[in-house]
Amino acid sequence: MRGSLSMITSVRHILLLTVKELRAIRGDKLMLALIVYVFTIATYMVSYAVSTDIKDLSTAVVDEDHSILSRRLADVVQPPLFAAPVQLDPKEAEAALKRGDHVLILSIPPNFERDLRAGRNATLELDIDATAVAHAGNGATFMTSLLSEEISRYFDLPGRGAGLVDVVFRNRYNPNLTPEWFTSVMQLMNSITILTLILSGASMIREREHGTIEHVLVMPVRPHEIVVSKILATALVILAATVLSLIFVVEFLIGVPVAGSLGLFVAGSAIYIAAIASIGLLLASFTRSMGQFGLLVIPVIIVMILLSGGMTPLESMPAWLQAVILTISPSPHFVRFTQSVLYRGSGFGLVGGEMLAMSAMSAAALAIVLLRFRKILSA
Amino acid sequence: MGWACELEGVGHRYGPAVALDDVHLQIPAGVMAGLIGPDGVGKSTLLALLAGVRRLQAGRIVTLGTDIASARARASIMPRIAYMPQGLGRNLYPTLSVRENLDFFGRLFGQPASERAERIAMLLEATGLDPFPDRPAGKLSGGMKQKLSLCCALIHDPALLILDEPTTGVDPLSRRQFWELIDRMRVRMPSMSVIVATAYMEEAERFDWLAAVNGGRIISSGSPQELKNIAGADTLEEAFVNLLPESERGRHRPVELRPRKQRPEADPAISATGLTKRFGDFTAVDNVSFEIEEGEIFGFLGSNGCGKSTTMKMLTGLLEPTEGETRLFGKRLANADMEARLGIGYMSQSFSLYSELTVRQNLALHARLYGGAVTRVDDVLQEFDLADVADQQPESLPLGIRQRLQLAVATIHEPRILILDEPTSGVDPVARDSFWRKLISLSRDKGVTIFISTHFMNEAERCDRVSLMHAGKVLAVGTPAELTEKRGNSTLEEAFIGWLEDETGERATEPAGEVAFTPDRKDKNRPLTRLWAYASRETLELMRDPVRLFFAFMGPAILLFTIGYGISFDVDHITFAVYDQDQSPESRRLSEQFTSIRQFDEGPPISSPAEIDTRMGRGTLTVALEIPSGFGRDLHRGHVPEVSLWVDGSMPFRAETAHGYVLGVLNLFSDLLAKESGRAAGAAVSIETRYRFNQAFKSAYAMVPSVVMLILMLTPAIMAAIGVAREKETGTIANFRSTPVTRLEFLTGKQLPYIAVAVLNFWTLYLMGRLLFGVPFTGNLFALFTVSVIYVIATTGLGQLVSSFTRTQVSAVFATAVITIIPTVNFSGLIVPVSSLTPSSQLLGKMFPGAWYQEVSVGSFVKAYGWSDMGWSAAMLCAFVVIYLALSVLALRKQER
Repeated sequence: MRGSLSMITSVRHILLLTVKELRAIRGDKLMLALIVYVFTIATYMVSYAVSTDIKDLSTAVVDEDHSILSRRLADVVQPPLFAAPVQLDPKEAEAALKRGDHVLILSIPPNFERDLRAGRNATLELDIDATAVAHAGNGATFMTSLLSEEISRYFDLPGRGAGLVDVVFRNRYNPNLTPEWFTSVMQLMNSITILTLILSGASMIREREHGTIEHVLVMPVRPHEIVVSKILATALVILAATVLSLIFVVEFLIGVPVAGSLGLFVAGSAIYIAAIASIGLLLASFTRSMGQFGLLVIPVIIVMILLSGGMTPLESMPAWLQAVILTISPSPHFVRFTQSVLYRGSGFGLVGGEMLAMSAMSAAALAIVLLRFRKILSA
Repeated sequence: MGWACELEGVGHRYGPAVALDDVHLQIPAGVMAGLIGPDGVGKSTLLALLAGVRRLQAGRIVTLGTDIASARARASIMPRIAYMPQGLGRNLYPTLSVRENLDFFGRLFGQPASERAERIAMLLEATGLDPFPDRPAGKLSGGMKQKLSLCCALIHDPALLILDEPTTGVDPLSRRQFWELIDRMRVRMPSMSVIVATAYMEEAERFDWLAAVNGGRIISSGSPQELKNIAGADTLEEAFVNLLPESERGRHRPVELRPRKQRPEADPAISATGLTKRFGDFTAVDNVSFEIEEGEIFGFLGSNGCGKSTTMKMLTGLLEPTEGETRLFGKRLANADMEARLGIGYMSQSFSLYSELTVRQNLALHARLYGGAVTRVDDVLQEFDLADVADQQPESLPLGIRQRLQLAVATIHEPRILILDEPTSGVDPVARDSFWRKLISLSRDKGVTIFISTHFMNEAERCDRVSLMHAGKVLAVGTPAELTEKRGNSTLEEAFIGWLEDETGERATEPAGEVAFTPDRKDKNRPLTRLWAYASRETLELMRDPVRLFFAFMGPAILLFTIGYGISFDVDHITFAVYDQDQSPESRRLSEQFTSIRQFDEGPPISSPAEIDTRMGRGTLTVALEIPSGFGRDLHRGHVPEVSLWVDGSMPFRAETAHGYVLGVLNLFSDLLAKESGRAAGAAVSIETRYRFNQAFKSAYAMVPSVVMLILMLTPAIMAAIGVAREKETGTIANFRSTPVTRLEFLTGKQLPYIAVAVLNFWTLYLMGRLLFGVPFTGNLFALFTVSVIYVIATTGLGQLVSSFTRTQVSAVFATAVITIIPTVNFSGLIVPVSSLTPSSQLLGKMFPGAWYQEVSVGSFVKAYGWSDMGWSAAMLCAFVVIYLALSVLALRKQER
């Protein structure tokens, strides 16, 4: 009886404090403006701009042959994979590659076609700016394949390319490998990470600097009620922004078909946001001022974003780093969750594990925050 | 006698609120002039206007014979004015020592080292601070803080000293010492004019000239005696009340303490035994015991930092005592005792209600949290006279009303015990009296026990009993009359000062040794000294903050370490499985081709089409090869058989790379078959692919230089973003406004230490890249270093720019993070080369320094960049430096609005 009564009181307190936190967020116009910017303009721009697939790769051709074949080869270089090629002098080519003007430069040597027709071996040169690591490899593969096919076709040769076996590529979940489908949702996750971490951490530091947390603790309010209300308020705001952004920006504007259940996605996002908010509070509990918090939160944000599996495949990381990241950061779990639910239309059974992992991280972070609560105050 | 300041028709508004209304006033020079009046009547605004730190909105002000309307005029008289803002040590830097604080102010006025040393020694001696030149300002008691503030104000020999409530919140002994110090200084500098705002009427008695301010207007001025004569009163306090307009005066009547009903047999309301609190090896409260009866008003006196607040926090249960215990009504107070908290109302020293909520919302929140009815809110609003301001936010209210709100909040749940920590500090006499009437009625009518700390002696005299605390120990307890009698003094104030003097051995007397000022009025325009003042101070503050220092150096290193290893575009461990419906030797041969390349990890074969769905749905299968039955037969017959390849497209990059691998495998397979069947013919074309600048095609070679770009963008920007906003929040920005330092000197000075940290970061990252990741370095190191320095000047400049625009540190960090992270991660060439971005994204990327530096960094490491290759980027980065600085200068205002 007594237990359930105090439970009700606790929930009441949490709700009251959550309303207070929401009012605080509403009062900060700059913060609201930044939240809107991140979930609309930034999401839209990043979705279209940033993709690691081969699209409009800037390419140049150095044609010293000037034959029909060399022109046919230059025509291979065309959108959508490559940007319309720029013709370069051999002398300019080196400098252009160094400046980073082009990622690929195809050089066709003099007398290329004549040599081939005379039965002599000839070599095409493909210079790749290998500092563009995300694009150089695939770009070269596609280019080589296209060039081979074109030469075979020109001389009507059988047997090169995939000629003996016809392969039908069927990309599941994203038939045309449209990059925006992927980047938009990953950008959504990045936005959640940046905003939630700072918002929740700052709410704690601000209260400590203004002495209001001390004031609240004199009242019959328990530390967990304060902490939970902060997470709840941050989560409500960010979750609302996320869902709106998913529906209006990602689905409507960018046109990503959402395969799975929106309800499940919202549930998983809520868990992710709660986990990030808990980590924000945890970071705040180790710092005393915004100056310290800012310096701590930046590396955390960057690691969470870049090593989430949303930028580069998680499997490419060294095994030890994968293990570390999967243990301390909820973001790779959320990336897996999102990919499963939004693209593959998976149900709870397939993503329950990821949701559990994120919940566990949230709980662990909160436990440490609560243990440190008194210490935070006396510091 | 000339005038120190002359005001004509001066008016000032904050939004719709009128702070000053058509003020005409002439303040005499060479005397001690005072502004008296309640809170929120415009005293502080007036002083800030005189000092030139606040922008003049209407009217004309002549300070020291100069019309301060123009910036040039203000700059010319700035070196002759000293301004000490309101608040205990608010213009001091808490982590800096006494001497370092003074040194900073000396530099601001362009004094050379020898002159500073001389003046500091003289001032420390004159103020009695000489025993602790190395103590951090934050660890000084309130009285000492104010003395130090005064020293800082006097370091440049001002002709006009402006003090805004300098003794508010300071104990009586320190207050007396402070005024004696001012008197001595005036003897030494007879021509100095002093203008003071104060809420203590007894202090105002000693001034030469007074102006009484009310409602943004001057209601009277003249010597204290003249004012008393005009008002026909014996004391200034009375005189002031008589001078008030009829409507306001009616509310004022003297405070009476009615006798208390004694209930000796009951348990004491508060009983503390042997309370001790230690922080590390510092004992804040040392074995304190007392008993307070129900309904008693118990006063707690003592200098700042003597342990009063700590004791009070232990009584509320906020702090756990190291030793000893507290009993409330006979019941032991446990740490998380929720029921005990229902019986306590607490008001902390600083305003600690939510500034983002309105008065009514604050009250309602507290009422609800205590489980009370919200209906009480309206009663309380009436009772505490807050109905008029119910829908305003506390920040916009004068201190006196805010304190009343705090008391209202503390009593909303009708507690039996009230613990009030300096509730009337900085509150004017009229407001304090009404506050005390409230307290007395709570005590006498409702039997509430009140434990209150105060620095006002007339308040102490209204208590049933008082206790005097010093350095964590209780020196004396008793009724005010008993204590006065015990010391044989005529007033309680004398008695207390006597006790404190006995205890500290401090005497408020002139220290021996007379050092004369050497007035030196040469115009010292030393921009570099002033710039250095800010640079060295910012450096010291950074050095004193080991946590920040640690993050500043370790953050970048950890970031490069994890990202350098973590980001790799080598796609391998692609899970692969075959759905072989043919089961012929040819089909097996095709599958073997796939599994023979290392990037594919073969999983168990697939047995049904549905299995492809479930395994891909779970994310355990990336590529599936489906070979239809009849594949081998078709191949033999020279038909072109069709196979299907299912790829998980949920991560397009991985899918595309897998695609590329598959093409390669099929080429090999076809070549193999062609060779076997002898169908290969004609001349061979070979395509030679050359991976330039990174032959091994290692992700780290490209990622490490790019991550250097990322880190040197974000960390310096965040470090610098705190700079200006922190000064605005803590109030030290007043030093920038009230001294001759220019905006350019201020910004550049504060930026220098962060540039230095960022340059060190650059070398750390460079060495890590070379040694840990083995990235070759082919370019010109000196050129890269030079451009890197320009880059970090630009990135710290960006942080400072955000800081100049924002009001709080929270906003500054938030805005800087959001503004910098998105373009730097996405549009600066970290993942996608800038040349392959869409034009609008390229433009966005190039609006930040990162995109320009990225090619310099990558180029220097692997593309053998020299000076000539990075000239254009360097020029652009220089442009960023200039633009950011120019915008910061424009955004930063030398005067407050």
